[in-house]
Amino acid sequence: MSSKTNTCSLEDNEYLSGLRYARMIQRSLMPEPSAMEKILNDYFVLNLPKDIVTGDFYYVHQKDKYTFLAIGDCTGHGVPGALLSILGISFLNEIIQSITIPHANRILNTMREKVMKALRQTGQIYETKDSIDMSLCIIDQEHQILQYAGANRPLLFIRDGNLSIYQPDKMPIGVAPIIEHSFKVTEIELRSNDLIYLFSDGYADQFGGPKNKKFKYRRFRDHLVAIQHLPMQEQYQSLMTTFKKWKGDTVQIDDVLVMGIKI
Amino acid sequence: MRLSAFRIQNFRSIIDSNWHNFSPDNITCLIGQNESGKTSILQALHAFHHGIISEDILRSDMSLPIVSCRFQVPEGWLSDTVETTDKALLEYITSLNTIEIDRQWNADLSSQLLVSGEIGHYLKSIELELKAHFDKLIQVCQHKYDLLITTQQTINNIKKNCQEIKFKLSQASSNGFSISGLKRKFTAKDSGDKADVSALKIELSSCENQLKQKNQQLEELSPFEKELTKWNTIQKYLQECQASIKAIELGAIINPLHDKKEDTVSKHNWSDLHEKIIRNEDLYHRQTILCSELINGKPYSQAEQVAYKTIMEKNKSMGREQLGQQLFEKTPAFQLFEDFGSLLPNRIDLDDIITENKHVEGYKAARNFLIIAGLDYGFFIQPSNRILKQTIENLNTSLTLQFHEFWQQNISNDNKIRINFELNHYDASHYEKAGKPYLEFWIKDEGERLYPKQRSRGVRWFLSFYLELKASALMDNLDSILLVDEPGVSLHARAQEDVLKVFDNVKDRIQIMYSTHSPHLVDTHKLHRLLAVQRKNDNNRMSASLVLKPSQLTDASPDTLSPLNRIMGNPLRTDDFSAHLHNLIVNDIGTFYFIKAVLKLVDFDQKLHLIPSTDVSSIPLMCNILLGWGMPFSILVFSQLHERQIADKIKTRMFPGDEPKDDHFIIMPKKFNNAEDLLSTLDFKKHIIKNREGITVKNSIYIEERELPRNFMMSQYLERVTSGKVTLKDHDDESIENMKALVKAIKEIC
Repeated sequence: MSSKTNTCSLEDNEYLSGLRYARMIQRSLMPEPSAMEKILNDYFVLNLPKDIVTGDFYYVHQKDKYTFLAIGDCTGHGVPGALLSILGISFLNEIIQSITIPHANRILNTMREKVMKALRQTGQIYETKDSIDMSLCIIDQEHQILQYAGANRPLLFIRDGNLSIYQPDKMPIGVAPIIEHSFKVTEIELRSNDLIYLFSDGYADQFGGPKNKKFKYRRFRDHLVAIQHLPMQEQYQSLMTTFKKWKGDTVQIDDVLVMGIKI
Repeated sequence: MRLSAFRIQNFRSIIDSNWHNFSPDNITCLIGQNESGKTSILQALHAFHHGIISEDILRSDMSLPIVSCRFQVPEGWLSDTVETTDKALLEYITSLNTIEIDRQWNADLSSQLLVSGEIGHYLKSIELELKAHFDKLIQVCQHKYDLLITTQQTINNIKKNCQEIKFKLSQASSNGFSISGLKRKFTAKDSGDKADVSALKIELSSCENQLKQKNQQLEELSPFEKELTKWNTIQKYLQECQASIKAIELGAIINPLHDKKEDTVSKHNWSDLHEKIIRNEDLYHRQTILCSELINGKPYSQAEQVAYKTIMEKNKSMGREQLGQQLFEKTPAFQLFEDFGSLLPNRIDLDDIITENKHVEGYKAARNFLIIAGLDYGFFIQPSNRILKQTIENLNTSLTLQFHEFWQQNISNDNKIRINFELNHYDASHYEKAGKPYLEFWIKDEGERLYPKQRSRGVRWFLSFYLELKASALMDNLDSILLVDEPGVSLHARAQEDVLKVFDNVKDRIQIMYSTHSPHLVDTHKLHRLLAVQRKNDNNRMSASLVLKPSQLTDASPDTLSPLNRIMGNPLRTDDFSAHLHNLIVNDIGTFYFIKAVLKLVDFDQKLHLIPSTDVSSIPLMCNILLGWGMPFSILVFSQLHERQIADKIKTRMFPGDEPKDDHFIIMPKKFNNAEDLLSTLDFKKHIIKNREGITVKNSIYIEERELPRNFMMSQYLERVTSGKVTLKDHDDESIENMKALVKAIKEIC
């Protein structure tokens, strides 16, 4: 019995060390704080994976006069989500490198083609329905214009304390029940001190609180409005504290990712 | 060195042909009605080479002819070739790879060669700079000379004045005071006389002072008085010569209506004057510098040294004429194929060939024959008669075989003509020539032995022409340009096509320009070779000639294009596929359907006719047909390598040197391999393949890899668009953006 337990524990250890190694690889695919600081003035990233590896990813990249910002939320979490997130990051990177004049919606369109091709999705019932929800922003630094395109993930935008919600297209990066159509793009003229928030659904979906209910999207939005005047690092702390307080002893049900950027 | 373009001015019916390119593949064909000016072009180019023209070349307004030729040379050729110590010029020409030379005729029909174009502009700017410098010096000299003359005149006047005053004074003195022996009582009159004398004395004194001043001035001018007077004499002489020459040039003396004797005198005078001007111009410049240096206070010896040095420097720097002459010597030889010298004779003395007696009938043809046979004089002094005869026999066989490659005319199945030449010696009946060798030519036909002149004119012409071209191609010296006026007029249609074969055979060594009325001498696959010549006013034979390049054949009259229409059929001018619509050639049927659909989607309302090629390689043929029919057209090509190569080929062959505004091409951006790539992947899946599969390659590659029925799919798309089932709104922003860019490009060429 004891030897069996030992064997199991050895296997677990190997599995865990493999996962930790995978986490290291996954993290290396996402931008390091030092790289992000060169691109963004003031920002935070709240990344709370449910497991060792995560199905959420964030992307920050500068090409010519364009700054690309994205968060992705892959179907599921843990290892399957992580594999898909790696695919997502690679595709996004590949597409951005190949274009000269970027259009946020066309990048999502192309990404969908790549994901569908990689997962061999043709719209048949028996196929996997794995996909990525994503928000993508492109900031034209020269003209201070922001393009936003979303696959099931919205953009929260706060200017002078007022919140605007830019709704995404209700389709993922991947196959969907309805036939694919082009993502739409929204353009916003930026001003100094504008705030942009991109996020996965993990924060709002977390159970907890006095009645063990979901935190919910409305509460999340209100909280962001309430802390919008704070410096970005303090916003990070506040979001972290609020999340932990809400979760309490409850199990984290999904990966959590919130990215805030101050213009 | 290759002739790339030419321009003819004031040559018979041509006022100004403007620049026209030689065909890049070295064969240029002139088409046009009789008296349109085709022969004038050939004659003008020939005259560019030898410089000789007759009076009938001059236009009635007596404007003097200029023929300009542009040659292509390898990079670095100019700096290796031009012999000059002018470093600035050498540096300027190092990177150039074209040269332009003008031959300009004078009123006495002599001519000079001037380098023009880029180098010409450069040298002219230097010449102008130098002229401006001389003009300033001339002004200084003129000012001093005028001062000298005025001073001299003033002195003379003052002297005269002084004389008069002195005379008056002497008169007045003798009246009042010098009447000896008489003592008169002073009266009022006397006091008046006395006042006059004093006044005269004052006047004289002032006059003498003036004289003194002026003499002083003259004294100051005296160191250069002699040289300034000499300068003025030369100047006057030059001015007189120039005035006389201008009078002759203006036609005041030379006039076709004057009798010949008078004309000859005028021409002689012109040349004489021209020479005098050239001789005295250097002297004039030298004298100008000398005088201006003296005026500036230099001692004579130093002033003379400066003048000498400046003139030497000026002569050292190369002028347009000097460089023109130098470059001209390296240009290809322009040869006009003409009957007298070029047609093969029955016999010719060997002596005439050796002494290059060009005035003997058939000299050129016989010389050509020997060049092709690879024979020189040494061969004919071969001591062994047997070896000589055997070698000639062998040569006759090989020459005949070579000729048969081009001459395809059989009288019966295997009855081709054979070329023979023999070396014979005059017999005693020829007195002076007795014993001397001569060459005799035969054109045999199944045993029948006939002299060239006994054969048909067509055979004799073709053979002689073949000899000329082959010989020119074999000569190792300069490149040559052969000018042929209406080749093969006496030839059968098939033999005329053989002429084209000969042209193609030698075109790598010889550039050829020929005029023709015959459709058989126009290669319908190579209409880029054409230049159409017609009168500005079709109904007026006195109007000036116009030369139209291939891309301008749309402007040619139906009569001008008749050789093409005869072979290609008449253009469908009355149909809507025609001259009043702009024709856009596209690479294939699939693209044709697709672009038609795009035009429908955007409600394109301009006059455009889309013409599908069967595939990319057929585009040049389509261009040929439209060129031949004189239709306006453009070509749409995609970014695939072979498609771009074909576009480049058409561009360089059919539209060389066209202005960018005359662009006949829509070249699609690199991201589009073919028409379907204008659709976004989403729209391609939605409207063309109707499949949800993820596609990560270009649409065109997807079709190619899966060998999908492209033309069918495109026609289905067109059908849905035409029926209104698919509208522009059914496409995403990417497709719409691409479509609009395409339509904009089409609108620009329409």
